[in-house]
Amino acid sequence: MSGGAPAHGAQAAPSVDEVGRPTLLRRHEPALAGWRGVAASTATTLLVVGLIVWIFVSPRSAAFRQVFFNGHEMKVAIKGDQSQGIVSVVHAFWINIWLSLVCEVIVLALALVVATTRLTTGPILRPFRGLLIVYTDFARGVPLILLMLWVGLGVPSLYLRPISYQSVTVYGGFVLVFTYTAYVSEVMRAGILAVPRAQVQAARSLGLRSSQAMRHVIVPQAVRNVLPALLNDFISLQKDTAIVLTLGIIEATNAAQIDSGATFNYSSFAVAAGLFLIITVPLTRLTDNLIARDRARRLAGAA
Amino acid sequence: MTKLLGDVVLDMRGVRKRFGKNEVLKGVDLTLQRHEVVCLIGASGSGKSTLLRCCNMLERIDQGSIEVLGTELASPRINEDLVRRHIGIVFQSFNLFPHLSVLKNVTLAPRRVLRTPKGHAERAARELLGRIGLAEKAGDYPDRLSGGQQQRVAIVRCLAMDPSLLLLDEITSALDPELVAEVLALVGELADRGMTMLLATHEMGFAKEVADKICFLEDGVLVETGTPEQIFSAPTQPATQRFLQRIIDAGRL
Repeated sequence: MSGGAPAHGAQAAPSVDEVGRPTLLRRHEPALAGWRGVAASTATTLLVVGLIVWIFVSPRSAAFRQVFFNGHEMKVAIKGDQSQGIVSVVHAFWINIWLSLVCEVIVLALALVVATTRLTTGPILRPFRGLLIVYTDFARGVPLILLMLWVGLGVPSLYLRPISYQSVTVYGGFVLVFTYTAYVSEVMRAGILAVPRAQVQAARSLGLRSSQAMRHVIVPQAVRNVLPALLNDFISLQKDTAIVLTLGIIEATNAAQIDSGATFNYSSFAVAAGLFLIITVPLTRLTDNLIARDRARRLAGAA
Repeated sequence: MTKLLGDVVLDMRGVRKRFGKNEVLKGVDLTLQRHEVVCLIGASGSGKSTLLRCCNMLERIDQGSIEVLGTELASPRINEDLVRRHIGIVFQSFNLFPHLSVLKNVTLAPRRVLRTPKGHAERAARELLGRIGLAEKAGDYPDRLSGGQQQRVAIVRCLAMDPSLLLLDEITSALDPELVAEVLALVGELADRGMTMLLATHEMGFAKEVADKICFLEDGVLVETGTPEQIFSAPTQPATQRFLQRIIDAGRL
């Protein structure tokens, strides 16, 4: 249709407000009310169930399940069996847990330093600011797995005390911290920039030093601003601990791979995936809740 | 009624301030004695806010001198944090700290700046909050308070530092009309108690009532200074007369 005029014939009768004046707004009604909603959700359910059934009744499905989701093999991978060269995936998973926790603590502290340094304006720190821009660009731009291999292979070959004689876990942790500090510092920088300047002025006017204003007024509000994003990065970090397997560290994913080699069965991967999900799903739910709560608070504040 | 005034708290001489090409203050002289209440009036953009913000070094002046309690602010050895301890400023938009309870808003500066022990600071804060009738709001966060309540907390937050000079920057301009009175009542009470105050305001009736001295600013120039009677009844400068006529025409005096 040309001219841009709305097609009146195709439209339902216009809504009216309480006193009968026509309104341009849609009347508030639950989405897909009545039978249309029921029909839509039934169709979606059927589609999903159909897909699963289709996979399960496919000719090779039984063999597939035997190799990838075998209950007995999963139990073996959970318990481990040294005599057969089977590593317990659960035990190995502790490395993922503590490595992610230790790294997260260091990342949060360093990221705050990086973010606040990048936000300074004085001429003394100008070279540092430039350096930090190069650092964040580099750390966020290079694949984590590449950095992992680079550091894991390169640093020991320097034969430089003490850095070349650390355990591979230290190298793995270092690379995770190196990469994630760059991401998290950008999140924090955004959070700090979102705190109104008037807050700094109010704090400084009361006699607080700039470091005190930062610590007691700006950073608490900044962290609140970006808490969901920080949690998101923590979830990513938790998953990316799997990449230290490239250094030969026997964490959950590596253990699962070792087990699959010993048993010729890949059910150990399902165990590893399950373990990661046990940690990440609650965190993800928590993040979503925080986002929803934050949104509700903002909307209430705007009203 | 004449007040017994004390020593000089604030002494501005030939203060000039420019933002880029725009000169906002063009040589302002202004003196405040202890217990004196001075109101700055003038149109928006006349330089009232900038003048206040220069007094506590939120803005640096380009020329002239400002002495606060006998200390020259332009001195290279000045410690701005030390200066600000003695000067409170209340902003148009309250600027309470949203992540802290009302009590913590009031105790933050005494505790961190003056190192007042926690119990002592909290007792003092509760007493101040009690004086403005907000004792029961001590545990609430600022967003639970009305604008008028927030602005009164912002005033109390300054008072907790026991300032020698209080700067009030159009503190009722962001308030709903029905909330203005409670804030002005508090300021009036402070004036009665002898607080030294420099305030920028559009509330002419209030200025007339509370001020010892009215300063009319236009385009960064202090055009006329006098008692409220002089300024509001018999302004001598044409610019002041024009400004007041506009205010009267708008039904605001």
